[in-house]
Amino acid sequence: MTDNNIILRTENLHKSFGKLEVLKGISTAIHKGEVVSIIGPSGGGKSTFLRCLNLLEEPTDGKVYFKEQDITDRKGSIAKFRQSIGMVFQNFNVFPNMTVLDNVILAPTLEKKVPKAQAREEAMALLTRVGLADKADEYPRKLSGGQKQRLAIVRAMAMHPEVMLFDEPTSALDPEMVKEVLSVIEDLTRSGMTVLIVTHEMGFAREVSDRVLFICDGVIKEEGGPDQIFTCPRDPATIKFLSMVL
Amino acid sequence: MDKIIGLLEKYFPMYLEGLWGTLWLSAVTVVLGTVLGMFVALLRMGKVKVFKWIADAYIEVLRGTPTLLQLYFFWIGLPKLLPFLSLSDTACILVAMTVNASAYISEIIRAGIGAVDRGQWEAARSIGLSETHVMTHVILPQAVKNILPALCNEFISTIKGTSLASVFFVGELMTAYKTVASATFLQMQSLLIAGVIYFTITFTLSKLLKLLERRLTVSD
Repeated sequence: MTDNNIILRTENLHKSFGKLEVLKGISTAIHKGEVVSIIGPSGGGKSTFLRCLNLLEEPTDGKVYFKEQDITDRKGSIAKFRQSIGMVFQNFNVFPNMTVLDNVILAPTLEKKVPKAQAREEAMALLTRVGLADKADEYPRKLSGGQKQRLAIVRAMAMHPEVMLFDEPTSALDPEMVKEVLSVIEDLTRSGMTVLIVTHEMGFAREVSDRVLFICDGVIKEEGGPDQIFTCPRDPATIKFLSMVL
Repeated sequence: MDKIIGLLEKYFPMYLEGLWGTLWLSAVTVVLGTVLGMFVALLRMGKVKVFKWIADAYIEVLRGTPTLLQLYFFWIGLPKLLPFLSLSDTACILVAMTVNASAYISEIIRAGIGAVDRGQWEAARSIGLSETHVMTHVILPQAVKNILPALCNEFISTIKGTSLASVFFVGELMTAYKTVASATFLQMQSLLIAGVIYFTITFTLSKLLKLLERRLTVSD
């Protein structure tokens, strides 16, 4: 398999926490520019799968490849790979001990040795894009949930990642802030960014995805184009899940 | 009462010198203990199992034996181990106090780091920071808020703890009391003076600490 267009690929991915087996063999590939939504019931393994992709969780078995390089072999520095794999969390996890701008330029200046002035300029451009330019010198405690999440997205984007992972990015937000975050993500997908998003926003998933994975009981029960999954799901588990959430 | 005033008139400089000795010994102990304690805490939280065990044993032994015993241990042992350095009593006691404090301080540091939200580690790692940078730029600056108040508490209890060093006459406040008491035979009066000085210092410091804590939480 040497498809140059594959950004991330997993092979028979397993993850157990103690006796609990959360992932029971997931194999899939994410292509450049693809937008993939991951849906499914809570506890089904969606987030664990996503967190295995940048090794925030170490798989119990199986392989993860980033551009066909095995990142589970523990040879290279995982930090280097993570620089190319952006991640956005449910709880934002912005750094409270530094300003909005410093949140953004931290990794580029420390790990990529981007000169401060240039990093600042790039950061300001990104912050402007998500409407946070006027907050650059504030500390995150002054931001709303939606603003924090937009900051988290910019912080990840500042490293020029080749793929962005979103782990339920709107689940911790007040309803009125969901839209502002989703529109930033949508903007990203339109710019050609490769995106994996675990979400409960079915309307959004349907609208932006090229492909939808339905993960349940630790396996991909069904996958397909958004129209197929949402209008004529085939697997009984998918049908049951969608009938409950739609 | 006039006996106390009499004592103060004559021996106040000696008490002051003792107080200076106490503060100096405590401050150096806490500063060096923090450096050593940080090292122990990092070993303990690290990935190398052997280092973890060593750090664990170090902490358990130091917390499970009397401080006075440890002072004797270093006071007797260090000059034997390093005879060419011809260490003074004070130096031996300082090493002993530092080692003792490092065990407690390493636990303070570990708890302070442990109290930082797990999501901060994950976010810092997810943007590709090296493990060192995760620690120095994201985790430690946040942990300091948890660590600093506890460290000040440690300083206060070290001030009281240095009184043990008077067994070796290293010139802190309790030594001053012993000297005054044996020169004047006014045991209780000279003891009271030392007590008032200790209390004034620790009470003031703990009030200052309260202020500091309030300042730290305001910025959250």
